[in-house]
Amino acid sequence: MGSSSGQSSGSYDLSFKILLIGDSGVGKSSLLVSFISSSVEDLAPTIGVDFKIKQLTVGGKRLKLTIWDTAGQERFRTLTSSYYRNAQGIILVYDVTRRETFTNLSDVWTKEVDLYSTNQDCVKMLVGNKVDKDSERDVTREEGMALAEEHGWTFLECSAKTRENVVQCFEELALKIMKVPSLLEEGSTAVKRNILKQKPEHLPASSGGCCS
Amino acid sequence: MLKKGKLKLPDRLGILVPGFEEKEEENGGSEPVFESGEELEIMEPNGVELGHKENEYEFDDLGVNDTVGDKVDAFRTRKRPDKNRSGQVSVMDVIAAEEKRSDLEHEFSQKEINLEKVKRIANKGVPDGGGLRATAWKLLLCYLSPSRDMWEKELTENRQKYAKLKEELLLSPSAYTRVRADAMISAELSREGDVAGPLKRQGISHGDHPLSVGQASAWDHYFKHTEIAEQIDRDLQRTHSDMKFFSGESSFSKKNREAMRNILLLFAKLNPAICYVQGMNEVLAPILYVFSTDTDEQNALNAEADSFSCFVRLLSDSVDHFCQQLDNSPVGILSTLSRLAKLLKENDEELWKHLEFTTQVKPQFYAFRWITLLLSQEFNFPSILRIWDSLLSNPFGVQVPIIPINF
Repeated sequence: MGSSSGQSSGSYDLSFKILLIGDSGVGKSSLLVSFISSSVEDLAPTIGVDFKIKQLTVGGKRLKLTIWDTAGQERFRTLTSSYYRNAQGIILVYDVTRRETFTNLSDVWTKEVDLYSTNQDCVKMLVGNKVDKDSERDVTREEGMALAEEHGWTFLECSAKTRENVVQCFEELALKIMKVPSLLEEGSTAVKRNILKQKPEHLPASSGGCCS
Repeated sequence: MLKKGKLKLPDRLGILVPGFEEKEEENGGSEPVFESGEELEIMEPNGVELGHKENEYEFDDLGVNDTVGDKVDAFRTRKRPDKNRSGQVSVMDVIAAEEKRSDLEHEFSQKEINLEKVKRIANKGVPDGGGLRATAWKLLLCYLSPSRDMWEKELTENRQKYAKLKEELLLSPSAYTRVRADAMISAELSREGDVAGPLKRQGISHGDHPLSVGQASAWDHYFKHTEIAEQIDRDLQRTHSDMKFFSGESSFSKKNREAMRNILLLFAKLNPAICYVQGMNEVLAPILYVFSTDTDEQNALNAEADSFSCFVRLLSDSVDHFCQQLDNSPVGILSTLSRLAKLLKENDEELWKHLEFTTQVKPQFYAFRWITLLLSQEFNFPSILRIWDSLLSNPFGVQVPIIPINF
């Protein structure tokens, strides 16, 4: 289920775990696939959890992002709660054309984060997806900004379909994480731990990176 | 990868991987066992059966073109290794498929069908076309009884029952009240003849008023189910979006989505503790597809009703995996996933250690979907149908081939 993209040779400076959460159908998987592979195909609903790995260079550092894509439906929440552990970044996604997905962030998702996130300094980002459907817009940009400000989150609007602002979402989140000393330290520890574990003969041949 | 030399599978599982033993030698130990099994190979001979092309869309969706080679190439994912056959179907394969077809046709024409025999044949793959798979699956799910004489009566009864359930549960409360009232009025009319005097007002209890928010209000249920319906609709838009049968704006695909919507909504209403869980759409899709593409016109017309009953039967075996309250119980999904980890440890400890400790990729990260959806999201559509032939013909239930219960 999980797949990696870009270099998998382990040559990176920092490793971060990022989590995508939000209601079913807001486009979490599409956002991830749009970021990883630039494709914008229709995707089947996520069942349980999926993850993808992407390497990119941000602020002069080579990063390995492990991005966990969770199912939005309530049934899967008890199963997905463990994925919050040790996440350095959480992206809260809503659909700008469906107001309930926006109100559920306050009513449901922030509570989930408070309950399960083990990392106090974890960086949160609010993302309003599907801005390509401007005529159907149900949540204004200002409302998004206000909610983000209230919670101290970073805010962006994007479209997984047109790829507008998609890369920026992840890059901006990574930059924010890198500015938090405790998270930066965790990111480097993860790399050290990983290098120690890797035996030379198991290192796969390095392939061309796709984003750096 | 599982290593052949030390693969330990319970006997029951061995039965389910036909051709498994033969392939051991042929492949010389270079391929993973799952892919080396002959079970998916059976798809190829069926490509020859273009003479049975009665439902255009069926084969369009399956990507069958003019030549068998093209058909194999058209498989969307996980192309099989070539094995020096260049996509050619061997004469032996064609003969084997034809034998299976005639065996099944012969069996289905019997007055008393030998279900064990059907299971044995279906286990190795039901040939496409001619509605054989639809009949086989209905028999395997015990929707049809082995006595052929009973079929017409059983089907008629079940289809009527479904129509009644739909009428009672899927209409909005006011529409249902109206239908009931109309039925009562027409019954009275027929009893009393012409009725003089004022028209009767339809009686609506306070609890059934649309503005009533009481728990018992029919409208309260109705609104709740509107939410579920919206969720189902969103998922149906994303079900096999690359297949004309399920996707697009044609009246044909709309009709199929409508049928799936009715079935899933009805299941949710009849099973409030489970309701609708994402992924049920994926489990339903192969059933509706197979029944709708049956060459028997009556069967194809009644695919929705038949699919509902068979979907319920299929889920009865694995419904616990969909139930959040049972997640931590011995019958829940987490327990099943532990059994999978144990099975992996027994068969390939090195891989198990790598996943468990080095990468810490737990079974629920990769196998949750395999198990809850009966592998229906992991392969291209023709392969799913082929795999399900084996899953459905397992004497111990559909879950057993994936995770043996007593392992």
